[in-house]
Amino acid sequence: MENLLELSNIHTFIGQFHILEGVSLSVPKGSIIALLGRNGAGKTTTLKSILGLTPPRQGSVLFKGEPIQGRRSFDIAAKGIGFVPEHRAIFRDLSVLENLRIAERQKGDFERKEQFIFELFPDLKRLIKLPGTNLSGGQQQMLAVARALVPDNELLLIDEPSEGLAPVIIEQMMAAIQQLSAQSTVLLVEQNFVVASKLAQQYVIIEEGQSVKHGRMADLVQDKATIHRYLGAA
Amino acid sequence: MDVLGTLKANRTRFITLGVLAFLFFTAVQGMPTEDWVITILRGLSVGMITFLVAAGLSLILGLMDVLNLAHGEMFMVGAYVGWTVFVRPDTFVDVLSPLLLTVVGFVLLPVWRVWIQKVPFLLKQAKFWPWLALVLGAGLLWIAYARFPLAIWNPDVYSESPITYSLALSQGNLLLATVPPSAGWPLGLLGTLLGGSLLGLAIAGFGLRQQAGTMSNHISRGTWITTAVLLVLGLVTFFINSNITDFLLGISTTARFFVAMAVATGLGFVIGGLIEVALIRPLYDRPIYQLMITLGLSFIVIEVVRAIWGRPEFTMPKAALFDGSGDGCPATSFGDLIAHQCSTILLFDGRIRTYNEVFIILVGLVVLALVWLILQRTRIGMIIRAGVQDSEMVEALGINVRQVFTFVFAMGVALATLGGVLAAPSIGLSTDMGTRLLLLALIALAIGGLTSFPGAAAGAILVGLLQQFIIKYGQIGINLPFLAEPFKPSPPLVPASTVLLMVIILLILPHGLFGRNE
Repeated sequence: MENLLELSNIHTFIGQFHILEGVSLSVPKGSIIALLGRNGAGKTTTLKSILGLTPPRQGSVLFKGEPIQGRRSFDIAAKGIGFVPEHRAIFRDLSVLENLRIAERQKGDFERKEQFIFELFPDLKRLIKLPGTNLSGGQQQMLAVARALVPDNELLLIDEPSEGLAPVIIEQMMAAIQQLSAQSTVLLVEQNFVVASKLAQQYVIIEEGQSVKHGRMADLVQDKATIHRYLGAA
Repeated sequence: MDVLGTLKANRTRFITLGVLAFLFFTAVQGMPTEDWVITILRGLSVGMITFLVAAGLSLILGLMDVLNLAHGEMFMVGAYVGWTVFVRPDTFVDVLSPLLLTVVGFVLLPVWRVWIQKVPFLLKQAKFWPWLALVLGAGLLWIAYARFPLAIWNPDVYSESPITYSLALSQGNLLLATVPPSAGWPLGLLGTLLGGSLLGLAIAGFGLRQQAGTMSNHISRGTWITTAVLLVLGLVTFFINSNITDFLLGISTTARFFVAMAVATGLGFVIGGLIEVALIRPLYDRPIYQLMITLGLSFIVIEVVRAIWGRPEFTMPKAALFDGSGDGCPATSFGDLIAHQCSTILLFDGRIRTYNEVFIILVGLVVLALVWLILQRTRIGMIIRAGVQDSEMVEALGINVRQVFTFVFAMGVALATLGGVLAAPSIGLSTDMGTRLLLLALIALAIGGLTSFPGAAAGAILVGLLQQFIIKYGQIGINLPFLAEPFKPSPPLVPASTVLLMVIILLILPHGLFGRNE
C-alpha cells in the first residue's frame, strides 16, 4: 500500500524543550491510524509538527512523496491536510456558516461539500446562523470536523475528538469519523482507548517523544501487556 | 442563548452603559440648547479623529499582537503630507518620482528572496553582504536624489517657511518658483532604482538569518503588477512634472484637498505595508523587540519631520468649500451651506463650523461604515476577525496569514494618515500632535476593549465627548448644590478626565466595554 504521509526521525523543540526525540510513522492511504500514548508523550506535537505549527528541526516529513518539512503552515495545509485541533479552535466571532466558509480554498468548496457535511452532522444545518460562541462542546467539535471537510483534504489530523463530550455525542462523532474515512485518510490522536480501538485499523504508540511501537489495531487489542505498559489500564 | 440570558450574562456591561448614558443626559440638561449641540458635535469630531487612529491600532494589536507605538506618528505624517499636497503641490510632485522609484526596490522583496536562494555565494556569506548592500544602496540614493529638481520651502527662513506658504495660500497670493532639471537626471533615475533595489536586497538578506529554510519561493502576480505600476508612475511624474504641478495648482482648493486626503491615505497604506514587511515581520517571535522598534521608529519619524518641515507649528488653510463667509453666510440650512460654501452654519442658535463640526464627523462615519463592511462582508474581513482570535488556526486552514497581517498593518496606517490630514485644518500641524493623539487613542482602546472594533469606535467617541463637555463646563461652570459659585473644571482636568474614565471603567469591566474575558 502506498503511504500518504511518512515521518522519519522527527525532532521538535518547543522553546528549549526537546519534545519529540525521533518520531517515525507512516500513514497508508485510505485508513484510520490512531496515535496513542500517555499525556505529554508528544502526540499533539507530532500533529503540529506535520503541519509546521511547531516546525521540526530534524527529520523529514513526506506528504504524497513530497518533502513538506520547513514549509510554512498555510502552504502545507493547502496541499490537502485538514486539522481538527484539541480544543476545537472554533472562531467565536464568526457564525457557523462563516466558520465553514473560511476554510474554503476555492470558491464554491462549501457548496460542493454542503450535502455531505450536513449528512454527517445534521445539527449544524439548524445552527448555521448562530455565532460560534453560542455552541455547546459537542456542536463545536462537529463544526471543527466539518470545517476540515470543506476543502478536498486527503489527510485529516484529528486531535482528541471525544474529549469532554457526553457518551451519546461520542457515538455520533465516531460514526461520523467512520463515514468520512471513506473519503479521507485520518490520523487520529485519542486518549479514549475504546474509541480509538473501534475506529482505527492501525496504531502507533508514542512514549516520551519517541515512536516505540506500531502495528495492527486488532493485534494491540489482544496484547494486554503492551496496553498496560504504554497506555496504562485501558 | 436567549435574550434574557444575554442580558443576564452582560449585566455589568449594560448597567455601566446605562450609567454613562444617564451621566451624558445630565450633562446635556445643564446647558442651553446651542451649547450642548455644539459640544456634542465637537465631541463627535474629536472622537472621529481619535477613532481613525484607534481603529488601526486595535486591528493591528488584535490580529498580530503588535502594539504599534509609531501609530501616532503616522497620524502626524498624514497631516504633514496632506499639507504639502495642499499648499505646495509642486514640492509634492517633485518628490514623487524619486520616492516611487525607490519603493520599487522594496516591492520586489519577494523576487530578491527567491533570487538569493538561487545564488549559493549570497546564501553562504549572509552575514556580510547585506551590510554592504545597505551602505551602497544608501550612498547611491544620496547621490541620486541630488540629481532630482526639488522646489522646497526653507524652515529656517521665515519668508520661505511653511508658515508663510500657508498664509499666502489662505490670502490667495501663493507664488511658486519652478526649478529646472539638472544635467545628471539619467543618473538620478538609474541610481534611485538601483539604490532602492540594493536596500530591498539588504532587507531580504537580513531576513535570511531568521527564516532560513522556511521561506516560500512564491512570487505573487501582485508583486509584478505593483512594480510595473510604480515604475510607470515614477517615470511619468518625472517627465511631465510641471504639467502635473500646473494641474494641481489649477484645480479648486476643494478638489485639491480631496487629492491630499487620497494621497495621504495611499501613502499611509504603502508606508504601513513597508513597515510591516521590513521591521515587524522579522520579529514576530520577539514581541518586546517589536514594541521597541515601533517606539524607536516614532522618535525617528518625529526628527525627520522636524528636519523637513521645521520645528514651529503652523496651520493648514481650509479648502474653499469650508471657508466661505460672503453672502448668505452663516448658512441657515444645509442647502444654503453648500450653495454659498459657508464656513459656519446656524443650528439651534449656535454657530457650527462646517469643517470641524460637520465634515470631519461625516468622513469619520463613512470610514467607520466602510471598515465595518470590510470586516463583516468580505472574505479578508472574515479572516481578520478569525485571526484576531487565533491566527495559528487560520494558518492551519491553508490561509497565508502573513499576507493578511501586511494588509491590516497597511490599512491601519492608512486610516491614521487619513485621520492626520483630516485633523490638520482643524488642529494645525505640530510635531507632538501624534504623541498626544496616540495617548488619547490608547485610552479609547482601553475603555472600549483592546481588540474590539466596535469598542475602539465607542471608546473614541466617549473620550471625545467627555473632553469637550469638560471644556465647555470649564467655560460656563456647573451649578453644584453646596457651592455658592459655579464650579469650573480647570484645563488640566480635560486630559485627566479621560484617564479617570478609563480607570473607573476598567475597575468595573476589566476587559473594557466590549472586550471579552480571554
